[in-house]
Amino acid sequence: MVDVKKGETIVLVGTRKGLFLFHSRDRKRWHTRGPYFEGETIRHAVLDPRNGKTIYAGVTSEHWGPVVMHSKNFGGKWVHGEEGPRFSKESGISVTRIWQIQHGADDDLYVGVEPAGLFHSDDRGETWRSVDGLNYRSDRKDWQPGGGGLCLHSILPYSGDPKRMLVAISASGVFGTNDGGTTWRSMNGGVRKYSEDAVFVDNVAESCPHKLVRDTRDPSIVYMQNHTGVYRRKRGDAAWTAIEKGLSSTFGFPMAAHPHKAETLYAVPLEGDFNRVTPGGAMAVYRTTNSGQRWARLHRGLPQKNAWFTVLRDAMRTDDADPAGVYVGTTTGQLYYSRNEGDSWQLLADHLPQVQSVEAGTVGGR
Amino acid sequence: MVEGDVRIEVYLPRALREYSEGKDWIELRAATLADAVTQLNARFPGLGYRLLDDQGKMRRYVLVFVNEDSVAHLAPDAVRLRDGDVVHILPSVAGG
Repeated sequence: MVDVKKGETIVLVGTRKGLFLFHSRDRKRWHTRGPYFEGETIRHAVLDPRNGKTIYAGVTSEHWGPVVMHSKNFGGKWVHGEEGPRFSKESGISVTRIWQIQHGADDDLYVGVEPAGLFHSDDRGETWRSVDGLNYRSDRKDWQPGGGGLCLHSILPYSGDPKRMLVAISASGVFGTNDGGTTWRSMNGGVRKYSEDAVFVDNVAESCPHKLVRDTRDPSIVYMQNHTGVYRRKRGDAAWTAIEKGLSSTFGFPMAAHPHKAETLYAVPLEGDFNRVTPGGAMAVYRTTNSGQRWARLHRGLPQKNAWFTVLRDAMRTDDADPAGVYVGTTTGQLYYSRNEGDSWQLLADHLPQVQSVEAGTVGGR
Repeated sequence: MVEGDVRIEVYLPRALREYSEGKDWIELRAATLADAVTQLNARFPGLGYRLLDDQGKMRRYVLVFVNEDSVAHLAPDAVRLRDGDVVHILPSVAGG
């Protein structure tokens, strides 16, 4: 096994059957580690951006429950806290899956789980505290699951204010807090209903967000791939605005922000909710450089025929290099990547188990 | 033997032995299945979380046999143990 060295790019690939690590000095020649947690589903794994060293992995065992494991030596040894996130006895529900791991604005961690819930740890995952203001909202009884289950899959802290945060739940919508999680507001106004001739309103917990990301340069702007379209919302806006010009389809799951450039993000449209595969069997990633006013199709190096797969909501990310790398994992086990911001693509790995999540960063931080 | 001094043996499947320093058979004194899980967790921190869901029930795909009786569907504190009982903890045959 080749050592992981400071300054290398590292890519964490969570799959239906274990976690794989890829690392490279030049993003041309890659080394592989893993799989770790063989046979178990890794819906998300992240590299701690504060030290570029610690990896946190959300490991879901259907038999033995979900745990957050961490490693300080790139998989050489994995450790876990004594307790995972748990709902209260009074709630009558139990955590079944870890969907998302996110570092907070301070030196803390959040996880999003299924059934939908948000948990906070201030001791690096040793113990977890329920964010009750969200988890036990009075409208929880009305929250409906999407096709993947009732899951909290997107967590967006706000770098300038630790009391602010947005989360997204399928299929109950987007929620925001300004007071550190005590109270939350439902934010779905302007999102098309499934019939397209009407829109949802704020303060009602419905709509099906698939992925939520923040603009890299202006954190007051967020973007959303929703079941019914692609949207943008700036703090203070009364509603979401559709940003779909140039997309082959408004339906998809993942969305990723450029690590350095404002108003630049990536999406992967699928045929539609009736057929969740790459349109026409031709894979493409779409990029906007102007906050979604216009999208361009990127496909050089990607398969343009007989490519029938899905890219799941967490299976596309950027690294933090310059020029930025973009990484996309498929449900058929390919990992494609670009080291020139999406202009051209190559295959990094093939024959992996179904890819659930991708994260990328720099060893030791940048 | 005093009341509550119930000696049992618990079998752990391979997947859980990372918690038990590789041991497959654990000797305990426990009057109920809930007691047994509590003591397992005291000796091997984290093991209890892998067995019980948030409501204190055995996780959905965990099988528990006391001697030859399946008891995973019962509340753990309602499963009384007797001296010499053998408790098997197993994963159900499920998944894909």
